[in-house]
Amino acid sequence: MAAEAQTLGTLRLPSQVATKPRRVQASSGTAADSRARENEHDLIREAQQGSRGAFDSLVRQYDQAVLRLALHLTGSEQDAQDVHQEAFLKAYRYIGNFRFECSFYTWLYRIVTNLCLDHLRRRKSRREDQAVMIDASGEQIDMLSNVSDDRSMANPDRELERKYLGEKIKSALDLLTPRERMVFELKHYQGLKLRTIGEMLNTTEETAKNTLFRATKKLRANLATLR
Amino acid sequence: MNIGNFELGSREPDKLPSRQCEAAQRDIALAVYGDLPDDASHSLENHLAECGHCRQELEAVQGLRQAMSLYPMLDPSPNLLTRTRLRLEEALDAVPRSGWMTRVVDRFFSGIARVQSAPVMASVFLIFGLCGGGFAGYRVGHKSLPPPTPPVQISEGKSTGQDGIQVASVQSIQVLKDEQGSERVRIGYERLVPETMTGSFDNPEIRQLLLKGVDAEGRVDPNVHTNSVDFLVGACLAGQCNDGPVRNALMFTLRHDKDPAVRLKALDGLQPYVAEDRNVRNVVLHAMLKDSDSHVRMRAVDLVQPVDSDISVRQALHSVADTDENPYLRTVSRQMLSGLPEIQ
Repeated sequence: MAAEAQTLGTLRLPSQVATKPRRVQASSGTAADSRARENEHDLIREAQQGSRGAFDSLVRQYDQAVLRLALHLTGSEQDAQDVHQEAFLKAYRYIGNFRFECSFYTWLYRIVTNLCLDHLRRRKSRREDQAVMIDASGEQIDMLSNVSDDRSMANPDRELERKYLGEKIKSALDLLTPRERMVFELKHYQGLKLRTIGEMLNTTEETAKNTLFRATKKLRANLATLR
Repeated sequence: MNIGNFELGSREPDKLPSRQCEAAQRDIALAVYGDLPDDASHSLENHLAECGHCRQELEAVQGLRQAMSLYPMLDPSPNLLTRTRLRLEEALDAVPRSGWMTRVVDRFFSGIARVQSAPVMASVFLIFGLCGGGFAGYRVGHKSLPPPTPPVQISEGKSTGQDGIQVASVQSIQVLKDEQGSERVRIGYERLVPETMTGSFDNPEIRQLLLKGVDAEGRVDPNVHTNSVDFLVGACLAGQCNDGPVRNALMFTLRHDKDPAVRLKALDGLQPYVAEDRNVRNVVLHAMLKDSDSHVRMRAVDLVQPVDSDISVRQALHSVADTDENPYLRTVSRQMLSGLPEIQ
């Protein structure tokens, strides 16, 4: 633990963030972005007219991000595949209803987040508390064991400590309500604006802010008691 | 309390949190994730400069964010991604292609959604809908009006059946005007509808109708007038003319009817009342002196014979005996006067 403290030193956030937020599509407004948006709009229109090829292209753009989010939220490859498949099937059925009032990314993630919320709620009701992930064959896998850590310098004690802390954090995340978990994950891991998160969850930016505040407060409390 | 070296905020605060601190702590979470507006960020910096408790809060949230790096979001393995894509492609292949009906329904609902997002278009549709509905309602209402009355067949004589009328029964025409926009004419008319009534002379309505028949001389069928007089005379001879109207009708007939035969009948009807009713007696004397028909005058002389002692009757007899153009009447009058006792 002391070694960890020496390595990380004084915290100066948000400039030094260990996990970079991942954005699937930036909205910087550059010419390249504009062209990409136009191309995407063309693909959407073709898909709306029934082009399966255009829809497959859209799937290729987003499916990895969708699967990553689902995998992180559900903690199960099988559940993540289910969420992924159901999300794109819904998008395929209802793409005719997309009216270009928001980005396709926001529209798609609205579907994904709703499916994930349903999944989290079902899991809450079953009081499942899986500390480990389950692969497609049903066997338990330890995701943290796959995390490479350049700082650990292959130190076994340090690696063990990291795994332990990672499990504690996962347990603390599981104690959040599904909505708090979703807002926190979309903010922390996806780096989305709170306004976008509000749109995805069919709520206001202000509500998303309050939810994020509650989530961070709960996480701190949960991590403090778990220690 | 800490995890590793990440302070998560369990130290004793330097002071109790104020309302400003509550707002600041809410902003701290946004600031750490870079979602705080610039103006709020400036206020937060000022607050943090003088509030040790909120500085600790900031460090705790920053520590949390740092700690979360120990549980990163991992990319799915290429193997998992490939398997997931294959599974999705199979599921998409299994989705049946939507038929034309589904596409029409989808387009309808997408059109509705488009209208919802375009208030002006929605207003235009609403106005068109209202106008169309109003016009359709007008047309339907116009068609549901009762069909026009079938044309009436006018005949000169006999009735033409249920829908026909006789011209003779038309009493008057009240309205006559063109219908605008058509070649038809609207006419209002009144017509008499014959009715019958059966009853005895005791029935007041029967008596009234008979009196109407007597008064209607010259305006209705002459037989009606004659028959009405006959009925009244018969009733009076039977002693049923105690009311004034019947007696007055007979007196009127005696004085003004143009037919001598009818006047004779009226005299017969008045016979029972010559002695008791002075008015009847005067009318009979007037007929005896003035009637143009000698038979009427002769019958009047006969009627007054029971009351020939009355001075007015005696004077009338003197007048007839002296002036009547009919010798027989003069003779009869003289004989009646000779048989009367001298006036003292």
